[in-house]
Amino acid sequence: MTANGSGLAGKAAIVGIGATEFSKDSGRTELRLATEAVKMALDDAGLAPSDVDGMVTFTMDSNDEIEIARSVGIGDLTYFSRIHHGGGAACGTVHSAAMAVATGAAEVVVTYRALNGRSWSRFGAGVQRRQPIPNADGVHYGWLVPFGLLTPAQWVAMFARRYMHAYGATSADFGTVAVADRRHAANNPNAWFYEQPITLEDHQASRWIVEPLHLLDCCQESDGAVAQIVTTVERARDLKQPPVVIAAAAQGAGRDQESMTSYYRDDMTGLPEMGVVARQLWAQSGLKTDDIRTAVLYDHFTPFVLAQLEEFGFCGRGEAKDFIAGGAIEVGGRLPVNTNGGQLGEAYVHGMNGISEGVRQVRGTSVNQVEGDGAVLVTAGTGVPTSGLILTSDN
Amino acid sequence: MKSLTYADVNEGDELPPLDVPITRTAIVAGAIASRDYQDVHHDAELAKARGSKDIFMNILTTNGWVGRFVTDWAGPSAILKKVAIRLGAPNYPDDTMLMTGRVKSKSDDGLIEVEIKGENSLGDHVVGTVSLVLPS
Amino acid sequence: MSDDGGALLEKLRGLVGKPAGAPFRAWDEVNQPMIRHWCDAVGDTNPIYTDPSAAAASVHGQVVAPPTMLQAWTMRGLVPPPSEGGGAQAELMGLLDAAGFTSVVATNCEQEYERYLHLGDDLTAEQVIEDVSPEKKTGLGVGHFVTTRTEFRDQNGELVATMRFRILKFRPPEKTEPKAPRPVPPRNQDNAFFWEGVDRGELLIQRCSACGQLRHPPRPMCPNCQALEWDTVQSSGKGEVFSFIIPHYPQVPFFDYPYVVAVIALEEGTRLISNVIDIDPHAVEVGMPVEVKFVKVHDELTLPLFAPVSA
Repeated sequence: MTANGSGLAGKAAIVGIGATEFSKDSGRTELRLATEAVKMALDDAGLAPSDVDGMVTFTMDSNDEIEIARSVGIGDLTYFSRIHHGGGAACGTVHSAAMAVATGAAEVVVTYRALNGRSWSRFGAGVQRRQPIPNADGVHYGWLVPFGLLTPAQWVAMFARRYMHAYGATSADFGTVAVADRRHAANNPNAWFYEQPITLEDHQASRWIVEPLHLLDCCQESDGAVAQIVTTVERARDLKQPPVVIAAAAQGAGRDQESMTSYYRDDMTGLPEMGVVARQLWAQSGLKTDDIRTAVLYDHFTPFVLAQLEEFGFCGRGEAKDFIAGGAIEVGGRLPVNTNGGQLGEAYVHGMNGISEGVRQVRGTSVNQVEGDGAVLVTAGTGVPTSGLILTSDN
Repeated sequence: MKSLTYADVNEGDELPPLDVPITRTAIVAGAIASRDYQDVHHDAELAKARGSKDIFMNILTTNGWVGRFVTDWAGPSAILKKVAIRLGAPNYPDDTMLMTGRVKSKSDDGLIEVEIKGENSLGDHVVGTVSLVLPS
Repeated sequence: MSDDGGALLEKLRGLVGKPAGAPFRAWDEVNQPMIRHWCDAVGDTNPIYTDPSAAAASVHGQVVAPPTMLQAWTMRGLVPPPSEGGGAQAELMGLLDAAGFTSVVATNCEQEYERYLHLGDDLTAEQVIEDVSPEKKTGLGVGHFVTTRTEFRDQNGELVATMRFRILKFRPPEKTEPKAPRPVPPRNQDNAFFWEGVDRGELLIQRCSACGQLRHPPRPMCPNCQALEWDTVQSSGKGEVFSFIIPHYPQVPFFDYPYVVAVIALEEGTRLISNVIDIDPHAVEVGMPVEVKFVKVHDELTLPLFAPVSA
């Protein structure tokens, strides 16, 4: 691969973040959640709705760009786009927005995601009710559903078992991720699990969802919305908040990729699509692992946090269990991960809340602020075609 | 129709079995003849709504079949004194109830007790005892 | 039983011994047409009920009503008397209905006859509530048995029959969803050969006609050489467990829990998703040798499942 998107490095910045509260029952529509988050992000940036000319969200989002534009009072749009593949879209929305502002297709782009992922549906319930239609999507699920392979947790568990077999990782190693997330969430008043840390014993004692995953290996199902505002670095310098520069942004899908069930590759222990993202992010930004101060690694299920550390080269293949031991991914450790509490501890807003935490770390406003001024890595959904960002301050 | 006398009957005698086809007509005819207009005995949709799988025979009709079954055997001179029945598996349409009976006892005062049973594909629809007197 | 159930039973039992309602006088005298309907309905050809001359020659000396028809004479029928209302029976049924015991089924009937009824007899029924049972679990649902005792008197006030009648007033059980069948995978031009093979008891693997590379799941084009032509090879059905999981939650209606979903590596080199069966789920291991078994899971679906290779 030769493309690395280096033309994008340092062109755009995140200048505003907004979020509703995170809950299990928002009591209002997804559209209203989205409008609230978008307005808060604009306020955070010191911009008016009329400044916005671009919008990007997930294909999975139920709120059309134009619905939000009408509600919030956003005027003409010159760029609107959607990113596919569930949580894999998260950093992809910012990637798309950054490309739009870098090329002049738009100047101020809103990225957003809103879902009542607990109260309107049970997000983790998977595809059990999917109707069999003989298109490619229907045929794909036809290889899974008759055998009872139905939920995101089950799809990930299949990888986790093979990873454990290949590298000798244990359920307790996965639990190390959960303990770190929940320790960070315990300090975060916006986290669902604020002031509720867990121990490794709690993790091991939690019930099986699908062996080898315990309940505490699984993220929440949440109601909530998150939005960011992306503009050019030049304009960002004139706005209310210090610019959070997008030093690198990338998407990636791997060879022989499926959505969540890439079980037919030679190996079933890695995340090649995240490798595609990692190589681009390093090349674009010119940074390396030692330059990363803290990371927000997509954590719908704990095992893939280990695989991501390996794909980005923080450690060798199969060595993540040793890398994360001894508090290494907690605040004070060598690479604090998911300082907002992650999707296990804060909320599951499809990775978009992780981007906002990356922004806070660059601004220096995280509740679990990591010392220093190094770059921040943010990743999106794992097991699917995905995306990532490296964020830095404007120095 | 021939009538049995008290002397004709012995304890342990089996009654001639009777196959009763449980048709919708049989169920509805029995319900109407007994002036029982409860929907579960004639309206399948409402019967289902009440948790039944279909319409079913009412107890008054079952009583009628029990009486007829015994007097078919005993004859027109028999006098029924008591009929006690307990219902079990419902008589739903498209089933057959096989009625069987046996003389349980014969007392010196002329009273004969017959045990009866009506069995359908689901099990015992009715079990009971009929007490009667026969001419000497 | 809940406290509520106890309070309900107390109220119900307070009605025991009370008249079910006002005495009910039969709409009609004992009459030949109703007797004929009855005899037709149960196929009773006993001549004492319908044949005046045979009846005259019988022990009865006249036409009599079938004794088991007793209750029919005092049934209210389709249109109840306008003045009727209230009474312990109505109160009892109302209490039970309100508590959710909305369905009714008769369970016992005991009739004693003092004499056979003649044409022209004019009956009156007086009913008393005799007993209400505590809440019982029955095959039909949870409910209360209610027993009444009825005395039937003729136009002279003479007792002609008594009846003890028991009903079950019950709560219809919640409709239970039938165990849903496993969904049938959709078939199209790309994958139908696989499921048609399974229907015949063959595990087929798609093979590129140009370069010979095997592939699963089926695709229209060879990712190795881009040829659209393909044929199939039949797998030996032997392979090993490459990875597996044991789902527990959420539970769907078409599986018994726990079960095993596995990625099976066939000896030909391709993998497929299936279930491992005929083994305790917790005895399954990565690397375990397995072989295919074609299992008809319901009328419309046969699946290739895998069982441990027998020693």
